[in-house]
Amino acid sequence: MEDGTPDSAQRTTGERVKLNVGGKLFETTVSTLRSGGPDSLLSALSNRTSNEPVFIDRDPEIFSALLALLRSNRLPSTAKRFSNHELIDEAVYYGIESQLRSALAPSQLSGIDASLFSTIRPSSDGVVTDFNAVDSDGSVWVAHGGQVSVYDWSLTHTETVRTHLDYISSIKKVGTDLAVVGSEFESGLHFYNLANGRRVGSVEWTDPSDPRIYKAKVNAVVDSVDSVYAAFECQHRENCVVSIDKGTMKAVSELGRQSGNSAKSTVVGKLTFLPEINALLGVSVSAGAFGYSGYVRLWDSRSGDVVWETNEPGSGRSSRFGDSFADVDFDREDLTMFKICSKSGDLAVSDLRKLSEDPWVYLEEKNPCMRHAGGGSSTLIHCYRKQVFVGRGGELEVWSRMVEKGIDGERERVLHEGLYRRNYMDKVEDAERGIIKKIEGAGDRLFVTRENAEGIEVWQSSQFSGAVLNL
Amino acid sequence: MPPFAGSHPLSHGFSRNSIDSYSNIVTIDVGGQLFQTTKQTLKQSGSKSLLSEISGSDFDGSIPFIDRDPEMFSILLSLLRTGNLPSKAKSFDIQDLVFESQFYGVEHLLLNSQSNPSQFEPFDLEKSLILPLSGRDSPTAIATTQLGEVQVAHGCKITSFDWSLKRKSTILTQFAGIDSMLSLSANVVAVGATDFSGLQILDVSKGCVNETLNWENVTKSGSTVQGIGASRDLLFTSFESSRRNSNCIMVYDLNNDGFRPVAEIGHYEIFGAELDSAIPATKLSWISSHNLLMAAGSHSGPSGVRGNIRFWDIRSGSAVWEIKENVDCFSDCTVSDDLSAILKVGVHSGEVFILDLRNIGNENSWTCLGDQRRVTNGKKEGVGSKIESHGTQVFCSKGGNLELWSEVLIGSSIKDRVFRKNSMGRAKDSCGNKITHFTFGGNKMFVTRKDQQFVEVWQSSVRGF
Repeated sequence: MEDGTPDSAQRTTGERVKLNVGGKLFETTVSTLRSGGPDSLLSALSNRTSNEPVFIDRDPEIFSALLALLRSNRLPSTAKRFSNHELIDEAVYYGIESQLRSALAPSQLSGIDASLFSTIRPSSDGVVTDFNAVDSDGSVWVAHGGQVSVYDWSLTHTETVRTHLDYISSIKKVGTDLAVVGSEFESGLHFYNLANGRRVGSVEWTDPSDPRIYKAKVNAVVDSVDSVYAAFECQHRENCVVSIDKGTMKAVSELGRQSGNSAKSTVVGKLTFLPEINALLGVSVSAGAFGYSGYVRLWDSRSGDVVWETNEPGSGRSSRFGDSFADVDFDREDLTMFKICSKSGDLAVSDLRKLSEDPWVYLEEKNPCMRHAGGGSSTLIHCYRKQVFVGRGGELEVWSRMVEKGIDGERERVLHEGLYRRNYMDKVEDAERGIIKKIEGAGDRLFVTRENAEGIEVWQSSQFSGAVLNL
Repeated sequence: MPPFAGSHPLSHGFSRNSIDSYSNIVTIDVGGQLFQTTKQTLKQSGSKSLLSEISGSDFDGSIPFIDRDPEMFSILLSLLRTGNLPSKAKSFDIQDLVFESQFYGVEHLLLNSQSNPSQFEPFDLEKSLILPLSGRDSPTAIATTQLGEVQVAHGCKITSFDWSLKRKSTILTQFAGIDSMLSLSANVVAVGATDFSGLQILDVSKGCVNETLNWENVTKSGSTVQGIGASRDLLFTSFESSRRNSNCIMVYDLNNDGFRPVAEIGHYEIFGAELDSAIPATKLSWISSHNLLMAAGSHSGPSGVRGNIRFWDIRSGSAVWEIKENVDCFSDCTVSDDLSAILKVGVHSGEVFILDLRNIGNENSWTCLGDQRRVTNGKKEGVGSKIESHGTQVFCSKGGNLELWSEVLIGSSIKDRVFRKNSMGRAKDSCGNKITHFTFGGNKMFVTRKDQQFVEVWQSSVRGF
């Protein structure tokens, strides 16, 4: 125990503090109390010189759990007697919220070892129409019907705002307390301030010179540091991506206006912004009588020019003609693009830094238990934490990257067929809850909504074995 | 016991203490509560732990203060005093106790009181815990350490549980499916598959491959792993060439890093249609009392299931003895050093047979423990049955049920050893899905079943935490 020696010396000789919390005496050291940060109530108490125990009129049992947290950086199991809400309230009182937060945070999301943790259920209009899980703070912004509800990192409901829209089909958090919402049925993109529930701005796509451009509805929305990009579509299918300045909440420019009369010019259904390469990516997929068709387009966000694009079926020398993609997503960390084939259900990857006419590498599938999982009518993919999550009907699967010997970090990376392993993430009975409509990862959690099912499923990994007593 | 019998030793102990001077008594302040104990008690925690350090150092009359939870300490102090956890520990989560014991450096005592292999009670085992596995793959292999850490292979993943069975971690491997796995330590496993070339030594805490061991065979094709076994110093791997025409058992040195190959034994090649001439061994067990390696393999051919069990002397590299299994070939076999016997379950009869190791070299020495008449009935009642020995007990799975065979000590000669069968588990636990694997670790037995994404833990009812 090499590291135990300095630790024990410090723990045995450190300045001692006596506390009387709700009638129960505790004794600890100054350094333990100060580990909550200099501004906390506890570190303020640790500065007192008097020898008398400091009296704090709070519940001693919760304090004992929080003190154990400060001592060992780990929440004891006695904390399970209290709800998260109680613990957070008490931690806020003592000023040690950040410690509690890191102790309560889920462990790193690993798709091969994740299970359904809980379900967020809005109290009214439970069917979630869209949501935005925010990776930076772990919160989820949920649109259900015409309401927007926010759940914080602990999945606790914080606020709900009713918008003027009756059915929100796109929502995105674009600033502190600021969300943009759009609807398939009503025109415009609307900025709402969640703190006071006010609509603070609206953007319509109009063109005085073109009378066909009116009542444009929002189909997809994404934001960068200073802009919001929204894909608008008019009644007669003219469409474009509008770039909106976050500060003024006014439209700045148009990218790629198109007529919408063929599969190659339909409205963008999925927008992604990659700040590392300053690229705005639009994906459009439409399903017709003859299968799927669609395009991926990459714009330079500064010039607004199309840098690269691919159409399926059609462009490139794809050996898989007729097996066009059903969904495409981008890995922000790895700068890779993934597509899932509509017929075979295969996954293909390509390097965003080396885009060519046919950049795809089709991943091999080896898991014998997945043999029968082919393509389906509704497949969608989402990349998070270097894993690819696939919703295939009601089934949830994960492709995880193998640890390879000798390949570390930013060395020249080679995408090859055997790079990923495919596994089911769910159990058979999970798939029966309905067809998966949207998957999004944030704060080491995976959020999943299903068609006509109320609420958002929250999946996360845990180090706890979850052993159950056989009674 | 007379009513006041207890008072005598007590007062005696007290007076002796005062003679010994009080310097032997240590007072510790843990989180504001005072505890008094002796230096000997604190020294139980081992020489390098925090507590023995306190007992050894002089604090100039002041009381040493430890900034930890006093209630947890009182439990660990009882553990130091008696070697057992007090019953009030049951109100705590074992995981908290594990963390706290790591802080004080007394985890080995906690482990010893909770997961000691000597506490294994074969007649008092009941299905007490279910360990769920993520995903949809059923377990294909299971490995345990002596202290009760478990590793379970399901699909291309390995999930490992710590000895308290409260924490787990899952890693991804390069295999499509894992067929054989052996624990080398709490974090290191040897893993192989019949459709993957090479034996991998995996670190399950980091999820990385430490070593890949291959057999350089004549055909220059890959080498798949058919079975893994180990003695205290050696690792045995049964390899078959990917073309399935030759096989051998490789012996590696476990003590030095790098898994140096020590010997290659039992190299067989198939020439022509003589398929029976080279059946790869699928079960490798070390018989430490005889310094022999048992290697058993079988295959299903046109004339039914045939196999052989060979006993290898590693040093000379020659087979000391061979049992040809032509009638009622084994479905599984095992060695018990404590019983000094080999046991098999017949694939046709489903009956358990015993062969005394002292009878080694004699022909036809299997003795049927059950119904002798079923031996030649030709029905395949024992297909998929597994047999394992643990201590002096023999466990045998039949479909979804487990049998426990134990020796009744009445006979004197080798010929008439008496074994009796018990069926295990309560009525509600029986008739589950077919048992695919079972193994032993710590004071527990671990069972996996077909199409079930969890591991059953069987342990004594009094030991459950």
